[in-house]
Amino acid sequence: MNKNDLSGWKNVFTFTLVQTLKNKAYIITYIILIILALISIHVINMISSPDNTDMDEPIEINKVYVNNQTQLTGLDFNEIIDDERLSHIVFETLNEDYDALADRIENSEKDSAILNITHDEGMFRLEFLVSSGKKLSNEEWFQLSGTIADEFESFKNNPLGITEEQLRAVNSEIATEISVYDSEGNKVIEKDTSITYSEYWFIYGILFTVMMVNIMASTQIATSIVTEKSSRVIEFLLISIKPLALMIGKILAMLTAVLVQVVSLIIVVFLSNKLSSAFSSGNSGAGLSQLLPADIFNNLNPINILFCLLVVVLGMTFYAALAGLTGATVSRLEEMNEGLTLFTFVNMAGAYIGIGAANVLTGPGVNGYVIFSMLFPLSSPFLLPGAILTGKAGPLLIAGAVVLQLIFIMLLFRFVARVYEAVILHNGSRIKFNELFKLYKSGSEEGTL
Amino acid sequence: MSLIVRNLTKKYGDKVVLENLSFEIKESGVYALLGTNGAGKTTTLRLILGMLAGNGGEVLWKGKPLDAVNANVGYLAEERGLYPKYTLIDQLLYFARLRGVPRDTAMERIKYWSERLMVDEYIFPPKTRGRKSKPYKAEQLSKGNQQKIQLMAALISDPELLILDEPLAGLDPVNTDLFKSIIHEEIAAGKYLIMSSHQMPTIEEFCSDITILHRGKVVLQGNLNEIKKGYGRVNLFIKCESDISSYIPRFGLTIVKKTPGEYHLKVQKEQQAMDFLSQLIRDNISIIRFELREPSLHEIFVEKVGVANE
Repeated sequence: MNKNDLSGWKNVFTFTLVQTLKNKAYIITYIILIILALISIHVINMISSPDNTDMDEPIEINKVYVNNQTQLTGLDFNEIIDDERLSHIVFETLNEDYDALADRIENSEKDSAILNITHDEGMFRLEFLVSSGKKLSNEEWFQLSGTIADEFESFKNNPLGITEEQLRAVNSEIATEISVYDSEGNKVIEKDTSITYSEYWFIYGILFTVMMVNIMASTQIATSIVTEKSSRVIEFLLISIKPLALMIGKILAMLTAVLVQVVSLIIVVFLSNKLSSAFSSGNSGAGLSQLLPADIFNNLNPINILFCLLVVVLGMTFYAALAGLTGATVSRLEEMNEGLTLFTFVNMAGAYIGIGAANVLTGPGVNGYVIFSMLFPLSSPFLLPGAILTGKAGPLLIAGAVVLQLIFIMLLFRFVARVYEAVILHNGSRIKFNELFKLYKSGSEEGTL
Repeated sequence: MSLIVRNLTKKYGDKVVLENLSFEIKESGVYALLGTNGAGKTTTLRLILGMLAGNGGEVLWKGKPLDAVNANVGYLAEERGLYPKYTLIDQLLYFARLRGVPRDTAMERIKYWSERLMVDEYIFPPKTRGRKSKPYKAEQLSKGNQQKIQLMAALISDPELLILDEPLAGLDPVNTDLFKSIIHEEIAAGKYLIMSSHQMPTIEEFCSDITILHRGKVVLQGNLNEIKKGYGRVNLFIKCESDISSYIPRFGLTIVKKTPGEYHLKVQKEQQAMDFLSQLIRDNISIIRFELREPSLHEIFVEKVGVANE
């Protein structure tokens, strides 16, 4: 590979990028994604709070008739409920005809409810009966039923003479710990490195996004190369530019086009969050703050963002080069899916290694498998960005991963440079990978195609 | 300025697809590569252009190894190709940029060639009802018009060396003449051309030197006129109003082909034909056509490839 092999890549880059950005499918996809991103936070807010309920307003139930069908006595919820949204509710023991009361609630006393308490097969059941016209949000029902259930728990234990403190002691979880002491007798304290549930989903979300973007960009690159081959434009291009420069220009253009989409989407999501916060009252910014780990913004600094981008771009460059090579082994568009099988497999394998490591991270400690996944160039682009943003990957690990990615990219480009010229003009059935290795061994001057 | 091809060889594994091809183009004009399908013509052109790595030999242009990326070379590939979904003007400007042609110059040349090849309405669509029409994409053009666009791409850098692989294949008679006139103009402008073709009359019209390839090997090479002279005027075409079949064996002539009323005969010496003609005149046989000539390139080609097959 020398300088002459790469000259002209900028022309390919500019042309491919401009044509991709002008492409109707790209523009339509872009607009749809932007619209979805723009409304995404608002939709999340609507789903989590569908009727835009004010969280401070009292719940619209004024009276609850308690129909106690158990052996428990002294159930008086009036004394113990101190929640601001529920304190106005009057609890009254049912002492009239049940059906008549139910009719009254349905027809006239719509702000009342019947609470049926039953005990059957070792289980207490608390059931509310309300008017069919009564509209309470799920969130309000959860609050009411949750509070009643908590209070009922203490009633349930009272006859046994169990205090709340005793109950807590009985229900306490059992944890074991093995402590290590150093030679001076001081306890060696190991920091808990396990990630939270939301951090896991955050890493998983980034991993999945990178995987999808990677597959999207790589497929576009392979398609573009196969199109040039099948439409025979490649013959004309090759008198003006070396195949390697052609591939590099194409890869960088496609990556740029995809990154433009992804970066725009991220910006629009944050913008949508801001707008959603500005226009909603009470639960401002609920959308993103519900999804992102609480301390995510502690790690969101320019250096970490730069590292993430570097790792993702290097990883995608590696995968794109692999897709480019795969595209060159195919001569017809209809054979492309078959040609991309191995590429998709490698891509999925990398992502699954990352998912496995994210699972391991939910437990205490960071073991060899996690470190391997963060360093291994096939999995690091998927796992490392999430790990960096959750503070689970230090500078040394990032540097190691970047160096390994660069080595892998150079080795792949060396391989590609040697076989690409022979492969790109090949017209016929798909070239298999063992044939590529033969070609590499024998050198492009002694092709076996 | 000359192009020297020396001992060019290409193998795929054990299969030799081109064996020690050598020729030289000393002055401007057209050099022809002829051969049956799979003879190695396109492989030769690709090797000359450096698209394929060879297994031996060299190509010198102006005394230095030819580097098509940096030299001013134009190429019209046998298998035509354009980006189907991109506009013609975008593609042509891209090809020009890859050849290092500045944008302004490229636009001037695109305008010139589009008018010359009568495709300007597709590249610069006229305004309709005061509105600018949508520029054409390659997929909206007929095959012949796509071929014109590709010729424009080959000529856009005003190349010193122009390589045309089957340039007239698939063209209608009008466009064939148009392409021919452009090739004549390029020759007149002192360009070096290498052309491969199956159309023998076209080769005879343009080319002074030829190479006939068969299964990767050279079966005939040299100056076309000298090759023909070497054969001599041994082809006699005669058409008479009455039957002359009884005369033919008497003069030791061999029948190559007989069509109603016309014979294509092979003679050993020109004198045989003259004696034959004198006898027919003496016998008052009305002669419609009498032509004694060298073999055509088509006949030489068929003969050489036939011998090579044997």
